[in-house]
Amino acid sequence: MSEEPVVLNETIHQSTRLRIMTLLVSLSDSDRVAHGFIQNTLDLTGGNLTIHLRKLEDAGYVNTTKEFLELKPRTWVEATPKGRRAFTEYLGSLERALNKSFR
Amino acid sequence: MRKQNNEGQRVTPEQGWTSIHATLDRSRSSMYVAGWTNIMLLWGAIVALGYLSMYTIETLAPVFATDYPWYPGPLWFGLTIPGMIGSSIIGYRASKQNASGPSATAAGLRVFGFWMSVVAAAFIIPAASGLWTADPDRIAISGVGVGIVALGYILFGIMHHLAIALVGLGIAASYYLPTHFAGDAAPVASAVLILAVVVVAWAWIRKSRVA
Repeated sequence: MSEEPVVLNETIHQSTRLRIMTLLVSLSDSDRVAHGFIQNTLDLTGGNLTIHLRKLEDAGYVNTTKEFLELKPRTWVEATPKGRRAFTEYLGSLERALNKSFR
Repeated sequence: MRKQNNEGQRVTPEQGWTSIHATLDRSRSSMYVAGWTNIMLLWGAIVALGYLSMYTIETLAPVFATDYPWYPGPLWFGLTIPGMIGSSIIGYRASKQNASGPSATAAGLRVFGFWMSVVAAAFIIPAASGLWTADPDRIAISGVGVGIVALGYILFGIMHHLAIALVGLGIAASYYLPTHFAGDAAPVASAVLILAVVVVAWAWIRKSRVA
């Protein structure tokens, strides 16, 4: 009997988006972080981050909101419940893929 | 197994796993280090001001220094209070600008607790060691205090950013070397060296875009 192939979520399983999702999901449900914080922490350019955030937002995995803080515009990013669930499922798939490759 | 993503970057499951762990470490450190560069600069200025004040008093008012040999205690305590208030304000502003929510608050409180413990230890340990007497050994008291603060930087740096650990070593060297080799000019030499160490580290951390 052949084993079912492990399917990894294509939206998350990309180096930059995986790091973005890891950062966001590692925070608690009501946490949100600034666009600049993600950019600095993950050492990304602003444009690159925006492109990947848009893909994650299109998938419903993250929410972005714009606010003014001390008269300066600031973009806040947070993982959605759907994004958290997708990431948890992704971790399960990743674990299965790793188990397969180590066998 | 390899996966081809939309942008053409390939990530294996092993790489994905490694990336998750590296990102968790980095994001945690980033949260702890937020605002750190400005706080470090503030404390560098405070320590430099403390040593310059001591040098000024010893040089321009030697009688006062002889009559009140315990004056460095209140002097440093007086400088520490605005330092603590300033650090709290900078840390609070940085956390508001970078993140909001329970995780950010918890990170800020942990960092605050760590540094308050270090500052308290720098006062309590010399006192508990019996160094604060009617005729205190100022070099010994400062030496213990600076050693504890430097250890705080080194431990924090080992956990979160190498530059901070090197600042700890730099602070220790900036104090101990002039104290033993620069004679009367030791406080000024220490002040200048500590300020230089802090400014170089500030530039390094800013360049590495962590804080």
